[in-house]
Amino acid sequence: MLTTLALSQESQVYTALESREAYSQPISPLSEDELRDFMQGRTLVRQSWIIGPALDSEIQGLGPLYNRNSCIACHAKNGRGFAPTNEHESMRAMLVRLSIPGKTLSGAPLPHPFYGDQLQEYGAPSVVAEGRASLSYSEHTVSLANGQNVSLRKPQLRFTELAYGPLPKNIQTSLRIAPAIYGMGLLQAIEEKTILTLAAQTKPGKIKGRPNWVWDEEAKKISLGRFGWKANVPSLRQQTASALSGDMGLSSSVFPHGNCAPKQRDCQQAAQTVAPEINASQLQQMTMYQLALAVPKQRQAGDAMVMRGKQVFERAMCAACHQPVLQTGDFPGLSALSHQQIAPYTDLLLHDMGPELADGRPDFQASGREWRTPPLWGIGLAQKVDEQVGFLHDGRARSLLEAILWHGGEAEASKEQVRTMPDEDRQALLRFLESL
Amino acid sequence: MPSALTIKAALRWLTSFLLAGLLLGSQALYAESSKVVVMTSYPQEVVSTFEAAFEQQYPQYKLEVLWRQSRDAMAYFKQPPQPVDVYWTPAQRNFAQLEHMQALAPLDLDLTGLPEQLHGYPLRSSHYIASEIAGYGMAINPKAIQAQGLPSPSTWQDLTAAGYHGKIGLPIPSKVGYAPPLIDILLQGYGWQAGWNLLQALAANAELVTSGATFISDDVANGRLLAGLTIDFFTASAIANGAPLQFVYPEITAYSPAHIAIMRQAANVEGARAFRDFVLSEAGQRLLFHPDVRKLPVRPSAYAYKPADYYNPYASNIGFIYDSKKGLARQELTNALFDAIISLNIAQLQYSYEQLTAATQKLGADAPQVLKARALLQTLPIPEPIDTESSTEITSPDKAQIQAWQLQMQQRYAEAARILAQP
Repeated sequence: MLTTLALSQESQVYTALESREAYSQPISPLSEDELRDFMQGRTLVRQSWIIGPALDSEIQGLGPLYNRNSCIACHAKNGRGFAPTNEHESMRAMLVRLSIPGKTLSGAPLPHPFYGDQLQEYGAPSVVAEGRASLSYSEHTVSLANGQNVSLRKPQLRFTELAYGPLPKNIQTSLRIAPAIYGMGLLQAIEEKTILTLAAQTKPGKIKGRPNWVWDEEAKKISLGRFGWKANVPSLRQQTASALSGDMGLSSSVFPHGNCAPKQRDCQQAAQTVAPEINASQLQQMTMYQLALAVPKQRQAGDAMVMRGKQVFERAMCAACHQPVLQTGDFPGLSALSHQQIAPYTDLLLHDMGPELADGRPDFQASGREWRTPPLWGIGLAQKVDEQVGFLHDGRARSLLEAILWHGGEAEASKEQVRTMPDEDRQALLRFLESL
Repeated sequence: MPSALTIKAALRWLTSFLLAGLLLGSQALYAESSKVVVMTSYPQEVVSTFEAAFEQQYPQYKLEVLWRQSRDAMAYFKQPPQPVDVYWTPAQRNFAQLEHMQALAPLDLDLTGLPEQLHGYPLRSSHYIASEIAGYGMAINPKAIQAQGLPSPSTWQDLTAAGYHGKIGLPIPSKVGYAPPLIDILLQGYGWQAGWNLLQALAANAELVTSGATFISDDVANGRLLAGLTIDFFTASAIANGAPLQFVYPEITAYSPAHIAIMRQAANVEGARAFRDFVLSEAGQRLLFHPDVRKLPVRPSAYAYKPADYYNPYASNIGFIYDSKKGLARQELTNALFDAIISLNIAQLQYSYEQLTAATQKLGADAPQVLKARALLQTLPIPEPIDTESSTEITSPDKAQIQAWQLQMQQRYAEAARILAQP
């Protein structure tokens, strides 16, 4: 359902819609061509892809190894994924990144020779799936100043049914839930110098923040990373092509070789010879769809509790990383995104988040303890849009308070402030986050 | 001569290779026994909803979905052996064909609480069974209709009123998967001649829709269109997600069941049964009320848990009983006729109907000119095929035939417009 189509010439990058479709609205104005591409992109993002050969040749090419068969299987209603609640549940909206110590020539994590850089749990009929990953949890409690105990669950990863032999002891793993995909165009439209200025600024306490410099697959050079949980992808187009390849085995001009690891012979043999499986216009339309997805407007901004929460947010130094005001630059690819003052609540920089959140898997310049500040805009509607959501990179946090209490490293002092602050302040902080 | 060290090393390698082989073999067996392969064309929202609930109830099984549209699915099934355990999809014709091909396992389940038919509409055969129902009707935007000063429509004919000109969505049955029964409901409900003439009158007011029905509900929700002919669940789901829509079931309507069946060559029969039984269970049927699904359960007891204002076909009366076998048998023919009479001549059709409306207002409905033009406009390329009472499939018309019908209609529309333009 689209209720806010281009009606005025003034850019509207936010949507006032608060329903379960709040993450699915286009910005405005969009030209007729842009709107058509947005709609086509929406169809493709919703499309269930087919293992070839098939009569529907436009939508074939899934696999031979894959995690899910559509974008929205993980990004339901364009929102965030979640972690399984127990070891019996499948990973329906998250995946496991894999690597072995070392780096590729471009500086990326070194893929495992058999399993590649991501465990794919499904295979085409002639190809054995790589294996199965499951999560169980160990729980511990954190006490708040008011005596209330909050239970936190830490995921423990287990692999079964591994088709290419056991994983080595030094395997590096990283659990990642699917991130929300609205507002990505605005993040793309932030100028590089803005992000570098943020990195250079002196910040309170131990907070630092640095950019991730990553390999740009299209420009064939090192570029500023801004997408992905570790800011390891430089553009939305590459993020889209990378997910199509890694999660669904769909090749494109950006990643033309599919996702079979070098030693997966049955996968290589089953892979379609006709490439790319995602053609140029399909990739362009899927990218346009995400570029043009509007962000939910803050709700109840004038509410006393929300205003108090905003002050607490600033006092607790959350805003040092979750930047509340940024400016987009010139963005000729979609002019409605240009020169907008936005409130993404991210600096797109890497921060050491402490040992508890560390995955121990470096990604370009990001260390095993560093994560990119995730945007907070629209987060208050997450559970309204989809009942099943998780917070933090691996979805371990079941609520925003749990997510805060997992913060460590550079954010340790902020976390402690939240833990020890008066109950009313903490409630106000949560109300503020829910208003975003 | 190999050294002792080399022989030891070779033995060690052989032992570890065999052990690894045994381990991998047992894992592969385990994986196969837990995997339930389901072929479907359901949208991701439906699949995800059922997948999550099924795995929660049956943690020993893991659902693997092979997604294919109905035409592609049949092509896939015709090239055995294919590793599909369950076929679960809204494509009644495929199930009939698969049953005829003896590709389905006999229906072997507890049928308690699952009716054999709905208003005379069969819900199972000996090899497949309906798993949900969808109804046909109109998606309307009540506020936008009110703003235009129009009465809210309750019958298909209401949408032929002048106030709806250019403001209704009509899906092309050869392009839109759910649309063929929608068209045939009008042909059966009003009769061949009157049904086609009603479709022409609707087309005169319509924007033809070629893609998925979500676009009809989008366009009606945002007010660009006032109403659209569609299937209920797209609209019901949009309403559940906040769209300002309403769905109207006219008196002449029918239901389209989706079915589920276990393949005769299913590798995981136990897993397949578990999934089928889950889909048909009360817990499974209640999932159909989910805001992203919004289909109609076949198990009447599930309606005790329905959300407010949810349609219950078992509690509703409909004006006639749609013969789905007849509809399926002539589907290719009616699709081709729709293209020839309407889709491929839409500009000429709309122009001549505009002329007809203007002349009727000016000269009166009984004016000889008007009567002559109307008779011409409403003359069909062919009468109703007489063998459609049986379930024998009617041969699809070829391109040349469709082109000939199109040309015939084009000339009639042009001639009618010429007659109406005479002073």
